[in-house]
Amino acid sequence: MQEMALTQITKISFHRWLVPAGIIILILLAIFIPRQVDKQNIWNLFFLICLHISLGQSWNILAGFAGQTSLGHAAFFGIGALVTRTLWFQGTPFALAFISGGVAAVIFAMLIGAPTFRLRGAYFAIGTLGVAEVLRITASQNLPLISTMSGPTIATYNLQARYYLALGLALATTGAAYTLLRSPRSLGILAVREDEEAAQATGVHVLRHKLLALSLSSFFAGLAGGVFAFQQISYYPSAPFSPLWTFDALLITFIGGLGTLAGPVIGAIFFVVVREQLAVNLVEFHQVIFGILFILIVLVFPGGLVEAWERLKKISIRKEKRNVNISK
Amino acid sequence: MSIESFLQTLVFGLFVGGIYGIAAMGLALVFGVMKMLNIAHGELVMLGGYASFWAFSVLGMDPFVSLAIVIPALFIVGLVLDRTVYRHIVRLLGEEKIKNSLLVSFGLTLVLQNLAQWLFTADERAIQVAYAGEGLNLMGVTMPYTRLGSLLIALLVTLGLNYFLHHTYPGKAILATAEDFEAAELAGINIHRVYMMTFALGAALASIAGTFVTVTYGLSPSIGVIWTLKALIVIVLAGTGSILGAFPAGILLGVVEAISGAFIGATYREVIGLVIFLLVLILRPQGLFVGRN
Amino acid sequence: MPIWEELPMSKFLGINHLNASYGDIQALWSVSLKVNEGEIVALIGPNGAGKTTLLRTIAGLHRPLSGTVQLGNTALHTLPAYQIVEQGVILVPEGRRLFGGLTVLENLELGAYTQRARVARFKTLKHVFELFPILAERQKQRANTMSGGQQQMLAIGRALMGLPRLLMLDEPSLGLAPMIVENIFEIMKLTNDQGVTIFLVEQNARQALELAHRAYILEQGKVVGTGTGKELLHNNEVRQAYLGFAPITG
Repeated sequence: MQEMALTQITKISFHRWLVPAGIIILILLAIFIPRQVDKQNIWNLFFLICLHISLGQSWNILAGFAGQTSLGHAAFFGIGALVTRTLWFQGTPFALAFISGGVAAVIFAMLIGAPTFRLRGAYFAIGTLGVAEVLRITASQNLPLISTMSGPTIATYNLQARYYLALGLALATTGAAYTLLRSPRSLGILAVREDEEAAQATGVHVLRHKLLALSLSSFFAGLAGGVFAFQQISYYPSAPFSPLWTFDALLITFIGGLGTLAGPVIGAIFFVVVREQLAVNLVEFHQVIFGILFILIVLVFPGGLVEAWERLKKISIRKEKRNVNISK
Repeated sequence: MSIESFLQTLVFGLFVGGIYGIAAMGLALVFGVMKMLNIAHGELVMLGGYASFWAFSVLGMDPFVSLAIVIPALFIVGLVLDRTVYRHIVRLLGEEKIKNSLLVSFGLTLVLQNLAQWLFTADERAIQVAYAGEGLNLMGVTMPYTRLGSLLIALLVTLGLNYFLHHTYPGKAILATAEDFEAAELAGINIHRVYMMTFALGAALASIAGTFVTVTYGLSPSIGVIWTLKALIVIVLAGTGSILGAFPAGILLGVVEAISGAFIGATYREVIGLVIFLLVLILRPQGLFVGRN
Repeated sequence: MPIWEELPMSKFLGINHLNASYGDIQALWSVSLKVNEGEIVALIGPNGAGKTTLLRTIAGLHRPLSGTVQLGNTALHTLPAYQIVEQGVILVPEGRRLFGGLTVLENLELGAYTQRARVARFKTLKHVFELFPILAERQKQRANTMSGGQQQMLAIGRALMGLPRLLMLDEPSLGLAPMIVENIFEIMKLTNDQGVTIFLVEQNARQALELAHRAYILEQGKVVGTGTGKELLHNNEVRQAYLGFAPITG
């Protein structure tokens, strides 16, 4: 009996350290691997992964934690990209332009937040899609056809710096999500996700919590757009407003696990790596494969890879328990 | 603006509205009965268009005649999609069902759009019938036969759908399932078969719209998203419980777009529809046509 | 082996050790009961006892955890709801569950959806209109524009259109005026006289026990008592718990 108790205690303490240790290792890998390998396509790959982590995690804050499935995420991404790029090209120091992009996205979010939050479920989803589309069409009508970096900017282009910015943002977004979950506000937000009416009945100020989640979500999405604008040498200014960015955020979060912290991280890695692989091997067909893969994941593992992982863990825990009982 | 050009704009708004209406009714059926959001609906419109294009270019069939092939073909596609994908989603409830149907249909959008691109290339296609330029000319207003034909068939289909839903048992079973699926089960209705038929019917309606689109405008694999959005706008205008109301709502959208486009300019014509859509969503979510189908 | 399997010819309802859950909570614990052909059997018990869950499970809206539901030789518990209706087992659900946006006539027509009922529907419709003249009057009216009592009549009429062999009713008197309740109970008696077996769940225990040949008492998902209608009407515990009487002493 004593022996078993001891093993259990050491197991618990081991488990408690496993997760933070794992995270630190992951971060260290993220910092040093690209530097070690130092190939253009690796820097690009890691950059894309970090960009998509921010994209997915910021959507996750609103959809996973507050339960509001928005299809207008591209609007924030687009505004962030637009504001950052415009200010930066006009001479504003990048750091200021970058933050402004995020802030602009939040301002827009707050403007449309109150009216659209009146809608529920499917209506909210298509309403946000509609808003994002209005923005996209207006942008594509009024903005120049292409936006290209100036000669000097291209000459001093530093991919490494851009990567570490993306990495920093990915960490910050996940950190913000984590803080939100640990804060006293978190119960309120989760309550809203589970059952809005019940939450309202228990005195939770539903709108305020939704707006809080929305402001964080839009801020980080805007910053992600800024990172994109910083990285792209030339692109169509209306491209960041494309609903494809929203769908990528959905894909990533859902594949990884909606409403979990690790979800968007795992999902982004999976999504970017698989997509790059498929694009290389099956040029014409890769989107089709991806779509089918995605459908399969939604049907079989609605909780995403995180749920799959949890299920595997449960099976192994059950096996262990059985072994312990047998050895008795 | 002269009376003539105003009427001309109005009439063209009617024509395009008819296509909007047919496209939207398909989506309204699926949403009203299965309570799912199929954002791959536009892709079904697109596939219908390619089917009619194929019938025209390979078999030499007139597009309106080719409906006899296109409709059953897309009906079968709808059956297949329901059996393989959507029947797993339809058994969920409420928000979860909506979320999952959004995701799954988004995956389907990727699959269908890129499949079409792979099979048909990204080139724009159009059907040029022999009588393409000809039409009626009433009071100075031109009405091309192609567009007139589209509107007339759209009207006939709507009337046919109305009869089917209200005066035949399979149709009434669909309406009953939309009202209360458990009560429908308790009346002896096999609701899974209803779901399958409804989805297939939605695909068939989409294919009709697709045929008209190919004749009227042109076709490419990427038009799906645009038509899904149009259909969504129309069903919000009609009120999401209304299936047949989607047709007049489609006409309304077409007319409003055409007229405002004439005044504000073509570039903002798309935005008008979206803005009206948002206003209706927020201010009058039950839609503009309150009442039954 | 359960007793009723010795009598294959009579078509009646047998429930054997039925366990069922409502969401995550188990609602029925090894429930066994039977309804003989031609009987009216009532099921009474407090709120939340599992009466509705039982009816819904029989009707095929829920899959039981274990146990069986038999209609004569046919196992119902493995059939989907619509096939159970085809067997002639029809439920008038709690809260009526009409097709609100459709007319009275359309609701009744939908009641005769199964092949067997559909071929006879014109005759059945006449019969239903005789039972409920108000429905004939308001044929073209939308179902959700009618009063509670009229809706209950429509719900029963819709069920009758299906030519039930076993008619189950879940709280038909709920929220209705006494006169309408009287009417409904009369119609149940009439329908039973015409050969339809009835399984009735009721809050109104007194009227249910007066109407029923036999009854069961369900408490917390378990059958705690059974007897003829009269026996239970005179049973002290039943009188106290469900009929609101002081016990008969002496």
